[in-house]
Amino acid sequence: MTDAIVLSDLHKSFGSKQAVRGLELRVPRGALYGVIGPNGAGKSTSLRMILSILFPDRGRIEVLGEDSALKAKDRIGYLPEERGVYRKMAVGEFLQHMGILKGIARGQVKVRAQNWLERVGLPEVAKKKCEELSKGMQQKIQFIASVIHDPELLILDEPFSGLDPVNMRMVRDLIMDQHQRGTTVLFSTHVMHQAEQLCDHIVMLHDGRKVLDDPLSTIRERNAPRAFRLQALDPKIDAMLALAGLSCIGQVNREDGHYRIDLAEGARLDEAAQAIAARVAPSRLELIRPSLEDVFVEIVSQQPTPELVA
Amino acid sequence: MNKILQIARREFAATVMTKGFLIGLLVMPLMIGVMAVLMPMLLNFKSPPIKGEIAVIDPTGEVIGRLREQLEPTAFASRRQAMDERLNAVMPAATQQFAKGSAAEAQIGESLKGILGEVPQLTLSQIATEAGLEAAKARLLLGKGETGALLAVIVLEHNAVQGSEPSSELGGYALYVREKLDDRLVGDVREAMKTAVVDARLAVRQLDAAEIRAVTRMAFVRPQIVTRDGDLSNGDIAGKLLPMAFMILIMIAVMTAGQQLMTSTIEEKSSRVVEVLLAAVSPTELMGGKILGQMAVGLLMLLVYGGLLILAMFSFSVMGLIDPWLLVYLFIFFVIAFTTLAALMAAIGAAVNELREAQALLTPVILIAVLPSMLWLPISKDPDSMFATVLSLVPPISPFVMMLRLASSTPPPFWQIALSIVLGIGGMLAAVWFAGKVFRIGLLMHGKPPNFATLIRWVRMA
Repeated sequence: MTDAIVLSDLHKSFGSKQAVRGLELRVPRGALYGVIGPNGAGKSTSLRMILSILFPDRGRIEVLGEDSALKAKDRIGYLPEERGVYRKMAVGEFLQHMGILKGIARGQVKVRAQNWLERVGLPEVAKKKCEELSKGMQQKIQFIASVIHDPELLILDEPFSGLDPVNMRMVRDLIMDQHQRGTTVLFSTHVMHQAEQLCDHIVMLHDGRKVLDDPLSTIRERNAPRAFRLQALDPKIDAMLALAGLSCIGQVNREDGHYRIDLAEGARLDEAAQAIAARVAPSRLELIRPSLEDVFVEIVSQQPTPELVA
Repeated sequence: MNKILQIARREFAATVMTKGFLIGLLVMPLMIGVMAVLMPMLLNFKSPPIKGEIAVIDPTGEVIGRLREQLEPTAFASRRQAMDERLNAVMPAATQQFAKGSAAEAQIGESLKGILGEVPQLTLSQIATEAGLEAAKARLLLGKGETGALLAVIVLEHNAVQGSEPSSELGGYALYVREKLDDRLVGDVREAMKTAVVDARLAVRQLDAAEIRAVTRMAFVRPQIVTRDGDLSNGDIAGKLLPMAFMILIMIAVMTAGQQLMTSTIEEKSSRVVEVLLAAVSPTELMGGKILGQMAVGLLMLLVYGGLLILAMFSFSVMGLIDPWLLVYLFIFFVIAFTTLAALMAAIGAAVNELREAQALLTPVILIAVLPSMLWLPISKDPDSMFATVLSLVPPISPFVMMLRLASSTPPPFWQIALSIVLGIGGMLAAVWFAGKVFRIGLLMHGKPPNFATLIRWVRMA
């Protein structure tokens, strides 16, 4: 089976600003990909090009086996970052309108809209105007509008922005539901721990370029923990003094009531843990795993400084 | 196509099913209806008659007697009768036929009486010399109804009737009136004095005034156009106003629905619903659907207002002024004019962030629609002039001007109509091409509103 998305040497500029530079990407069918990167990294522009809302200056796009998303719009669901509803329109009518635009037959769309409203716990709002709903409710409606036609590919641009923790969990569950039923999910976020919680593959963009494209497991393996956090049982003990001379330890630093112990090159984790515990009785000794944010900062710090744009 | 129709359907419903639109649509027919009922009622409230005394200083001794005759109630009645006949003569022939011998004729006569009020009841008093003028003027200052109060004082010049030499110029008269005098009296006195003085002048020259009036009277002449189908009457007011009515009909429908299109585009952009839509349809489909939906709104307006116009013409039996082909052309030129201007308005709506920002870009579009109405007079005076012909072929104003020419008494030849349609469609496609590019780029642009140079850059970018 072909990949859900194939991008080759994609470029896009707005005036003198190069938003996307030579992006290459393959998203297999059924995968859950997270596109991460800071604001202005080119995430939204890339997603809009995949959807043929924007068109690249150069490069090739293949979506669901078609050479343009325009030919596969009815098989794609999209939740943009800045999403809206027709404020004066009734919720049910809005969902039916979006459903018909997504290719659902008129005879089925009403039932489908009502089923979805029941599924997200809003069966009574079909006749209410969109403007009468709370922000959280509107976000549920917007999500339904993007999946009402059971898309093969779901593209979500910053789906968690502006959500409270309860709604964030609700949206996360809805995304996972879609993923489990076989939908390919591609979403962007600048909050990296969200991608860490949800995705099985991470694509990282920085200044319009792809700087990382790996499964989360590979990223974790490659960035294996090389440090411990230690809290001594006896707070009076000076761990820096006690651990001095251990060959497996690179350096020890004091941080907010605990010590950060970075291991020496080539040192094994299990041996180091035993050696530390033997010198300082710990009340807490844990591995410090690098977050995606740490990985990102490390990658970006190794990149050449982006050219200044006039 | 299903998606375009769905967008059109929503656009139509969202515009038409609002209280504001329905009130706006119905308010004009309603006002016309109310006027039709109220006007005759209001006109039937006759003004009270003017009563009072007028003093005259007549050194000639020839005028006062004739003036007394002219101010008799019977003289007033016959003057009003003459005015009635003059008005009737300039009315459209079909209206005359409709009104003749009917209740409407009586209604028109009654209305005229209502406007002019009851016949005045005036008495004349003569003051012997000019020495009494100051005393008479003092009587003009007395309160209304006080004994001796005057309405007016007329002072004739010595040579008002006959000069010292046969060739010398004749004099006139001075008219003094009291404050806050009913305006109708001044008009009546002028009319009566004119007849009285002229009659006196003719009498001293041994001429018969009644005979001269009879031989100088000429009935109003209505031109008759000779055609293969027989002679047709022409020169009616309705015939002159009809082209304007048709052009205004198109203008109202185009501008109202076009503005709605622009507003709804701005709303979709500012409420950020547009990106959700663009994930489902292409910008071209979105613009096409919106134009189609608002075109249906414009057609609805055309149907309501045009229907009323035709109904009114039917009731006044002047349907003969409309060639059925005119309605076909009205539809064709409406579609061309609407699509051209609506596409430009959609582009403006997509380019700006709020309605306020649209004003600068909107001015040229409004000018296109308004310009033909400003040129109505020269075009309607000579619909076949080079000026009118060229304007009726140049898009985007050609549909408006061509409608003016088509509804005129001398419609253009068919080849000019066909050429205007072809060029109009060309202009329409160019406008849609330009608007489509601006629409595609503008919808996702936020921030500083663009100027014309920016729009051109977007077209090159897209």
